[in-house]
Amino acid sequence: MSRAGKIARRTFLIGSAAIAGGVAFGVYMAKKPIPNPLLDDLKDGEAAITPFVKIDANGITLITPRADKGQGAYSIQAYLIAEELDIDPATATITPGMPRQAYYNATVLGEGVPIPAYKEGFVADTLRDFMSVPAKLLSIQMTGGSSTVPDGFDRMRLAGATARETLKEAAARRVGVARGDLRTENGAVILPDGTSIAYTDLAAEAAEIDPITNVTLRPASAWRYLGKPDLPRLDMLRKCTGTEVYGIDMEFQDMLHATVRANPAVGTAGARVDASAAEAMRGVEKILPVSNGVGVIANNTWRAFQAAEVLEIEWSAPDYPGTSDGIFAALEQALGDPDSYDHRQRDEGDVDAALEAGEIIDARYRIPYLAHAPMEPMNAVVRVLEGQVEIWTGTQIPLFIRDRAATIAGVAPEAVKVYVLPMGGSFGHRLEMTHVEQAVELALAVPGRHLKLTWSREEDMSHDYPRPASVAAGRGQVADGKVVAFDLSVSQSAMAPEWFGRLSGMSLPGPDATITTGSWDQPFAIPNYRVTGYRAPSMVPVSSWRSVGASGNGFYHDSFLDELIHAAGADPLAERILLCLHEPARKVLEAVGEMSGWDGPSMAEGRGRGVGFCMSFGVPCAQVIEVTQTEAGIRIDQVYVAVDVGEVLDPTNLEAQVFGGVIFGLGHAMNCALTYEDHAPLETNYHAYEGMRLYQAPQIEVRALSNGSRIRGVGEPAVPPAAPALANAIFAATGQRIRELPLNKHIDFV
Amino acid sequence: MQKSVVILAAVSIAGAALAEAALTLPEEGSISRADGQAAFERIYEVVTHPRCANCHVGADNIPMWSGPSYGEARPHGMHINAGESRIGAEFLPCQTCHVTSDDFDTAPHAAPRFGIAWQLAPVEFEWFGKSRAEICAQLKDPERNGGRDWRELVEHLEHDASLNGPVAWGWSPGGDREPAPRTLEEHVEDMALWGAAGQPCPQG
Amino acid sequence: MKLTVNGTEHEVDVEPEMPLLWVLRDELNIKGPKYGCGIAQCGACTVHVDGMAVRSCQLPVGDLEGEVTTIEGLGTPESLHAVQAAWVAHQVAQCGYCQSGQIMQAAALLDLNPAPTDAEIDAVMSGNLCRCGTYPRIRAAIHDAAQKLSEA
Repeated sequence: MSRAGKIARRTFLIGSAAIAGGVAFGVYMAKKPIPNPLLDDLKDGEAAITPFVKIDANGITLITPRADKGQGAYSIQAYLIAEELDIDPATATITPGMPRQAYYNATVLGEGVPIPAYKEGFVADTLRDFMSVPAKLLSIQMTGGSSTVPDGFDRMRLAGATARETLKEAAARRVGVARGDLRTENGAVILPDGTSIAYTDLAAEAAEIDPITNVTLRPASAWRYLGKPDLPRLDMLRKCTGTEVYGIDMEFQDMLHATVRANPAVGTAGARVDASAAEAMRGVEKILPVSNGVGVIANNTWRAFQAAEVLEIEWSAPDYPGTSDGIFAALEQALGDPDSYDHRQRDEGDVDAALEAGEIIDARYRIPYLAHAPMEPMNAVVRVLEGQVEIWTGTQIPLFIRDRAATIAGVAPEAVKVYVLPMGGSFGHRLEMTHVEQAVELALAVPGRHLKLTWSREEDMSHDYPRPASVAAGRGQVADGKVVAFDLSVSQSAMAPEWFGRLSGMSLPGPDATITTGSWDQPFAIPNYRVTGYRAPSMVPVSSWRSVGASGNGFYHDSFLDELIHAAGADPLAERILLCLHEPARKVLEAVGEMSGWDGPSMAEGRGRGVGFCMSFGVPCAQVIEVTQTEAGIRIDQVYVAVDVGEVLDPTNLEAQVFGGVIFGLGHAMNCALTYEDHAPLETNYHAYEGMRLYQAPQIEVRALSNGSRIRGVGEPAVPPAAPALANAIFAATGQRIRELPLNKHIDFV
Repeated sequence: MQKSVVILAAVSIAGAALAEAALTLPEEGSISRADGQAAFERIYEVVTHPRCANCHVGADNIPMWSGPSYGEARPHGMHINAGESRIGAEFLPCQTCHVTSDDFDTAPHAAPRFGIAWQLAPVEFEWFGKSRAEICAQLKDPERNGGRDWRELVEHLEHDASLNGPVAWGWSPGGDREPAPRTLEEHVEDMALWGAAGQPCPQG
Repeated sequence: MKLTVNGTEHEVDVEPEMPLLWVLRDELNIKGPKYGCGIAQCGACTVHVDGMAVRSCQLPVGDLEGEVTTIEGLGTPESLHAVQAAWVAHQVAQCGYCQSGQIMQAAALLDLNPAPTDAEIDAVMSGNLCRCGTYPRIRAAIHDAAQKLSEA
């Protein structure tokens, strides 16, 4: 569905959204076209027909502004453009380009609207589309929220089509035929007589004409790349030969290597430092203060690490609890406390009255802080030279980085160049920029030199801005084999306002939807149904972690639903299907039933299966997990997953993302927590925080359905259902109901 | 220069010094049974300490992780199995991570290393989870101790230490690990005292 | 100090306790081996020393005995090693950061055990962490590479 022609609706709605979102912008600004950033830097003979395609005599460059952190964004964006442009993307240069407003993410804020994703229709769709207006004005060129495909699906194809038609127009004018008589193939315009003119040969002439924007997108039936099996990822060869250049691999002549130690109580200032031992070490050039810590500049990363380790530092303490026990006590205290009430986006029937009808089923849950811990630790190369700042880093938020670097360096944002590099994972970690701030601070002390800052793994784990810990209470009522009341309360520190404030310096007023995202918005019909969010005080600074609010709420909602269905004496899968009020969601539940040969949760002696479901980022995802209780502990035998992203553009990568999401969800649910003592996590490296290793990885079978009405992203939605599916399977196999993550606090795994 | 170098030097000297100044052995029978039993108690504390017992495991060939930094004892992470070869040859060689180096000073939680090839002790030398009586019987049984009488046990300790092997490493394990109790020299002396007392074993 | 990497001899002036990983990355600009943990917990730095897989972050360069092969020396984009070809065929990599180490470990595995079972793959490859969760395809690619190598 194209966004063209929506201006009228946006104009109509802007007032009301300004209230909902807490930001108000003039209609004029929202309608003003955004300049094409490529036009700023074009050389003679280059044509930048849209912000996403640049062509010169030497070749074609595709601009893929969503960053690749492993999810395949690099490839799919290129294929989206190439599909309409009629080129082989493997022959093009593909680059994220400079961060610019033109690359705003119109979709990512759409999940923040107070309408659950399963509700469609005019109001819901318009509100979601409207959220692209603040995104555009806030310049949120961001990668996240499983939004790359939904955001780019039309936009990048339109870019390809616009470029194609403009090149055809250039050819038409050159040879004097109508554009309609021309076609394109493999990077060339084909004339009626079969002669072909390469795009590169038409670039200079195309630059002289106004882009042809009145284009029609090809139907799926005409696609050459999209939707095809075995679509090769365009970065695969590099990643299998050690030739991909990640941020940490950047190398410049005479580059300095730096690291930092910052207060493990993240964001807390003040430290007394004794650097005398470190200063005397080989290769150490400078030891300097950075915000909240100390930086070491050396001539080799290892030498910087060694020197940082012997710094003697006395940290100052923040005013929030320093231990996990203290943190959970504060979360428990806020739960149900009227003074901590944040929001209630679902309140159907009369929950209080329904709960009084009989004995209440009570359940208390909790989940820990979790680190993102991507394999590549945070790093950035910065050079400050004559009022210009250059930054090379893997990031999901290049515009925030540009603006913050400008502030630190005291230059205009236009004087900052951010080169976005491939990322060795992120899972949300690269929605933060502390490491870049530190690198800019250090680079200012060595003007003209390239300086690469690398966090040690220990520094990275201690400054991870983890997934929030939270606690939840479920209260419910069943009668006559049915769930009649479902009342869930969740208490968590406010994640989204903290994060946005850190990045932008602006406050985000209103409720923090992430506290209940993944539980208030589930597509079920229960007569008395209520979900309430409570805002605990800010404690350990927190951020988005793959699947964001749904990572915990998926566990809470689906675990409690499973308990109530069990109490009602109904079948876990059949009852979810009965309760489900959203057709695509019902279909994924039916699909996993069929895939697993579901005939109830009980299997042979010592075995059991559980179902888990969560709809996140608009994607319903159901999983059935089969486990066996062995002498050495629980073994996960098999996982069946069904997911509906509306339209599958890359089946091979979809399967990879689902494998990855399930393993990420299971590994952390089984094995991982950040445990705080003295304001710092005890888990400082992978010895204590590994997620899942290969020996624990189960067989996973994936089915993708296409019943959803909008195209969606699949980077995150497979994560939330994994934890409850496993906990529900363990209950089926052992009778033990585990309500706290990680599960290995309560049961052993093989 | 770096801390690691200083420690490396200290370790090497300790090992070398021990080798040069080999213990003058007491005469057999010159040590009372009670003193011998007391010496065995100290030996037992050493050999069941995580630095020693974690790799003196049974026929499942799975080393253990235990000690103060691990909480409850558990099998070595990463699904490690050293195989019947006891050096990981069938699967992942121990030396892939536990490299051979005289520099014991690794980072905390890194793979510890010493001066000879990392490996599990022979399966008949199993100590992990064994009782005093079981370990005592094993230590004095030439069928299960590498064919050594008590003097050769002492010599074995001295020789291993001189190579910067596990015996030297156990008291200088690096990486903030807890060393084995007391000192290497005292352990060697205890082995001699226990031997000269006729290798008395506790009951049960 | 001299060392041979991918068939080329290099002379470096470093302290003997500097881990091989950092000699490769920061002194010789060989960036295929990655830093992930520094403590042999992730395997991203895996190289071969005389054909055996070694975590280069653990090996003080002064203790290096033998020739080093990194992912760059195993195969190139133009001439892939069978393991790399299988990795591409199975589209294993996601972020790809751990894959240099995974591939070097897998190549060493197949060198010792030309037809590993799933259980043997689990035993050897569980020291190599992948945070993206590419494990199902790693298993499949190793079986595939084993097959191709046995046919060769």
